[in-house]
Amino acid sequence: MSERRLEGIGVTPLSGVGTVIWYDQEVELPEPPASENVDADAEHDRFSNALGTAREELQAERDRTAEEVGEEEAEIFDAHLQFLNDPQITGAVEDAIDEGLPADHAIQEGFKGAIEQMEAAGGRMAERADDLRDIRDRLLRIATDAERLDLSALPEGTILLAEMLTPSDTAQLDPERVAGFATAKGGRTSHAAIFARSIGIPAVVGVGEQLLEIEADAEVAVDGEAGEVIVDPSEETRERAAEGRDVEIRTERVETADGEPVEVAANIGTAAELEGAVAQGADAVGLFRTEFLFLDRETPPDEAEQLDTYVEALDAFPEGRVVVRTLDVGGDKPIPYIDAEEEENPFLGTRGIRRSLGPDAELFRTQLRALLRAGAEGEGDLAVMFPMVATVEEVEQSLDVIEDVRAELDNEDVDHEVPELGVMIETPAAVFMGEQLAERLDFFSIGTNDLTQYVMAASRQNEAVSHLHNPRDPAVLRAIDQAVDAAHAGDAWIGMCGEMAGDPELTELLLGLGLDELSMSAVTIPDVKANIVDIDTEGAREFAEQALAASTKDQVTQMLTDNT
Amino acid sequence: MMERTVTIVPEAGLHARPASKLVETANEFESELQIATDGAEPVDARSMLAVSSMAAEQGEDVRLIADGPDAEAALDALEEVLSTPEGEYDDE
Repeated sequence: MSERRLEGIGVTPLSGVGTVIWYDQEVELPEPPASENVDADAEHDRFSNALGTAREELQAERDRTAEEVGEEEAEIFDAHLQFLNDPQITGAVEDAIDEGLPADHAIQEGFKGAIEQMEAAGGRMAERADDLRDIRDRLLRIATDAERLDLSALPEGTILLAEMLTPSDTAQLDPERVAGFATAKGGRTSHAAIFARSIGIPAVVGVGEQLLEIEADAEVAVDGEAGEVIVDPSEETRERAAEGRDVEIRTERVETADGEPVEVAANIGTAAELEGAVAQGADAVGLFRTEFLFLDRETPPDEAEQLDTYVEALDAFPEGRVVVRTLDVGGDKPIPYIDAEEEENPFLGTRGIRRSLGPDAELFRTQLRALLRAGAEGEGDLAVMFPMVATVEEVEQSLDVIEDVRAELDNEDVDHEVPELGVMIETPAAVFMGEQLAERLDFFSIGTNDLTQYVMAASRQNEAVSHLHNPRDPAVLRAIDQAVDAAHAGDAWIGMCGEMAGDPELTELLLGLGLDELSMSAVTIPDVKANIVDIDTEGAREFAEQALAASTKDQVTQMLTDNT
Repeated sequence: MMERTVTIVPEAGLHARPASKLVETANEFESELQIATDGAEPVDARSMLAVSSMAAEQGEDVRLIADGPDAEAALDALEEVLSTPEGEYDDE
């Protein structure tokens, strides 16, 4: 049998091969019996027992999530528990039983009205409809005795397939047993993807409907690097996928063969990923995306909650630096309490610092208060950077807000410290204005995903232009080169926190371009560190000069191939 | 039956945590408890679904209606929830 490849989004640069187990959340109901054959009392009992079991399950999942992932994620379950006790819903189910439906059909019927009510309300209410569906499916599963897969006890060598995985599902997976997972839905930044990265499980998300056609017990390889799910893999594919990685983890800082120190840092999105970052040998955190503190909740995190999270990160790296990026949202990441209008082109609209200096000014101040306080309280060295900066004015205004917040904390006699300050280099404007920006700041960090998108004018989401969206394009390399020169001319250090930084093939090129720090998904740190110790700075510089002189992306790719 | 009109103080209005807290509190009493926005039909204050569907915002006045043995205490407790800025609940 020949192998079949399905494309999705790879979220961990790891591969695994194994046997498919499906994780189904949907329960299919048989035709209901005639109402005169339904024993209403027995069905009421069945429903009330299902409610009790669901409550216990939810409480247990809530506790586990709070412990293993975080209190904010755990709050999702509080809402579920409350809906479970909702008299309007339970009443509707009970009425349906009285009218002659068995408990399972009555549950479906009783939730229908509630789900429609939420959907009709629109906006943030509509999101609640998904919660209600979740609860309904849970009750149906319990009432019909449908078997539930215990995700924490899957057989060794399992490839888990699912429509989608919730945070609590993913948190249960044991990387020792699960060879990988793939989901039909979800993107790079979905909870499942982030968890997969932090626990080091090969994973591909967003495969689409075609994933659903894979049968249970099929042999499947998951290639998290190429973003492929391979059904009936050939012997060769199988071997390659099973090989795993054989890289030494270096927990100490590394330097090039000729003694130049290079900082290798981790990108993280939640405090839950700190442990994994330390375990993979990260010297620091080069990008702490704070969006995840703000997503999937109904109200923003307050100053105290943010302070705790930032201090936790700083304490995890007592000898290192933690670069926190202030809130970076726009029309593409809807948040219930942020009034971001849908924009024709969200990537060229009000996002990042544009929102922080505009409609989200209050959130920005709260975040900065928490950060300045964390700088004084936490062990490691804090650095704070602003996303999506295009002008010197934006930097000056941001520095004014920081000064304001500092004075306020001074007045209140609250301990604080102004951290190192920097910007993300994502816009071509920031590259061109690099020197003026560097004079006002301590550091830059290049976000290569966005920089590539804006330099090449090619959307990250549009398949049709994905050939243009490649950081190896000489235009992008020249932009990086210019940013590095500007930073150093202005006495600032410069790092890179885009995906490009974690590509082991590019380490020599990036060091040759003069980057002082590379920050990446924790799982790629051992590979990049292994490369660094073999690199000679002078040779890397010459290599970078050649790449900068290239005319096409293919020439650069050829040089990289010849160089290995 | 007792009735009281209260202005919503939490910034988030009757959504999310304030709504949760209200429902939780309503469940602690024996009396029938209802809540209504201006001019609307009262809904069951024990129903998260009903309460959050009201979409009541900060600054809006709502009517609280209680009927039962602990009506007054229940109204006091619900008023307390609606007049407490978010994040200042005792248990948080």
